[in-house]
Amino acid sequence: MRRDHRSAILGVHWALILALVGLQVVVPPFHHTLLARIMVLAAYAIGYNLLLGYTGLMSLGHAMFFAAGMYGAGLPLFYLGVGAPQAFLLGIAASLLLSVVIGTLTLRTSGVSFLIVTMMFAQVFYLSTLYFNRITLGDQGFVLAGHLPPISLGALRVTLSDPVMRYNLALATFAVCLGISLWLVQSPIGRVLVAIRENEDRTQMLGYNTFAYKLLALTISAAIAGFSGSVYAVITSYVGASFAAILYSIYPLVWTLLGGSGTVLGPFVGTAVMTYTIETASRFTSSYLIVVGVILVALVMRFPAGIVGAFRRRWAPWLP
Amino acid sequence: MTALLETRALSKRFGGVEAVGSVDLRIERGEIRALIGPNGAGKTTLVSMICGRIAPTSGRILFKNREITRTKAYHRVAFGIVYTFQISSIFKHLTAFENVALAVQRRVGGLDRDVLAREVGEALAHTGLAGARDRPAGSLPHGHQKLLELSMAMALHPQLLVLDEPTQGLAREEIGAVSRLIQSVAGAATILLIEHNMQVVLDLSRRISVMDRGRIIAEGTPAEIEANREVQRVYLGP
Repeated sequence: MRRDHRSAILGVHWALILALVGLQVVVPPFHHTLLARIMVLAAYAIGYNLLLGYTGLMSLGHAMFFAAGMYGAGLPLFYLGVGAPQAFLLGIAASLLLSVVIGTLTLRTSGVSFLIVTMMFAQVFYLSTLYFNRITLGDQGFVLAGHLPPISLGALRVTLSDPVMRYNLALATFAVCLGISLWLVQSPIGRVLVAIRENEDRTQMLGYNTFAYKLLALTISAAIAGFSGSVYAVITSYVGASFAAILYSIYPLVWTLLGGSGTVLGPFVGTAVMTYTIETASRFTSSYLIVVGVILVALVMRFPAGIVGAFRRRWAPWLP
Repeated sequence: MTALLETRALSKRFGGVEAVGSVDLRIERGEIRALIGPNGAGKTTLVSMICGRIAPTSGRILFKNREITRTKAYHRVAFGIVYTFQISSIFKHLTAFENVALAVQRRVGGLDRDVLAREVGEALAHTGLAGARDRPAGSLPHGHQKLLELSMAMALHPQLLVLDEPTQGLAREEIGAVSRLIQSVAGAATILLIEHNMQVVLDLSRRISVMDRGRIIAEGTPAEIEANREVQRVYLGP
């Protein structure tokens, strides 16, 4: 990255975070809740994009990492009554651990095989959440309301059921993941990941252990997915098997492609546009998914590189 | 004199075809060794085994008297064995700077942006590509892509530099530039050069190995090679 663009890059990303800080005081309650959800799901997509957009690996099994974070945080909250900070750490640890095992097995493949194998593992994970329904309560899931003890920050007591707290928890999660993503893709590690995406054989012949780098990318991606999964459980107060289903593996793929794969801001833009499109369309018609489908197809045909990708090409080639 | 690289009875079979058969190659430290032979002789297969891109069927490879037959390709790069591809294999969508930066950061880490920028700048200047710094590598003319590939290889500070047809498809002036460039790294690195252009071979190399049908059929000085009956038969027909 050129030195002269570094302040512009930081400026753009800070501007988004500050805009989201400001938005919470002006938007009505409905959008308040929706935005909080968008920010957490965008964090999930950011993790997904590190793998797809920067490393060139298309997974169709990320729901297992999202759900591992959700259960990793939700089960201890529900059964053991741990505090929320510990729950988040447990959620991240669960998906991190899972991703090391899954990555070691699946990264022997690439391309379409990788897509299929990750999907198969995710299905195993999903079916397991149903099979062990005495613990997970399966499809029906469980509600965390009443299981979220307030967090004490010095003299301050924070109640997680408070909408303001939820919004800012979502915002903090998003900001942290955006920061990690922005730092990583501009770091020497990010440069190697892009090289793997472009030409893995050549990268190896430059002396890089590409398997190790891909595993690193997968674990970071999964840890972010797990983090957002655990936060999503807390802000919606709900944990259920549906989040482990294939739909939640497809969502981050669509959000990332729509917003612009291989751009730091793309996942947020894609998640926001898609969520608002569904929300708006469902208000007018019950067959809203047709409308969403048409809009998606039109957008992808008009901007094959995604919304932010197209913007970058035309106006801001320096955008990471 | 100790050999920098040695292969012992190195062989590679693809199904029923023996691409390389029992090759004993010995390269001394500091030499520029040319490897010539007709198309399909097994030259690229041989050097691919030396670099670790493909695994041999049997035989051994020693680098500085150390067994590296089963060593991964990326570890061999760390030992100092560097390969440049026959068909330019650069990162076409990345800038020339990023391409060379990948090689430089492999060696120096890359966390210090100033060191990285300086070293990349020097490497690009050395090959005359300073002006192409921020252009996507894929948009450069063919000759410049070859030079970029060489910049990347040299930025790794190789001990053994394996060049697979570095002048292929280049114009005459460009061939001269590549020759001079190879000459300039020869002091620091030992070079194994696959080359079809005999003028380049004779300009650079004091010792030539000739391959045919997977075997080394002759080895010696240019004069010895020229006088060799077997070589004449391979090149000119019986």
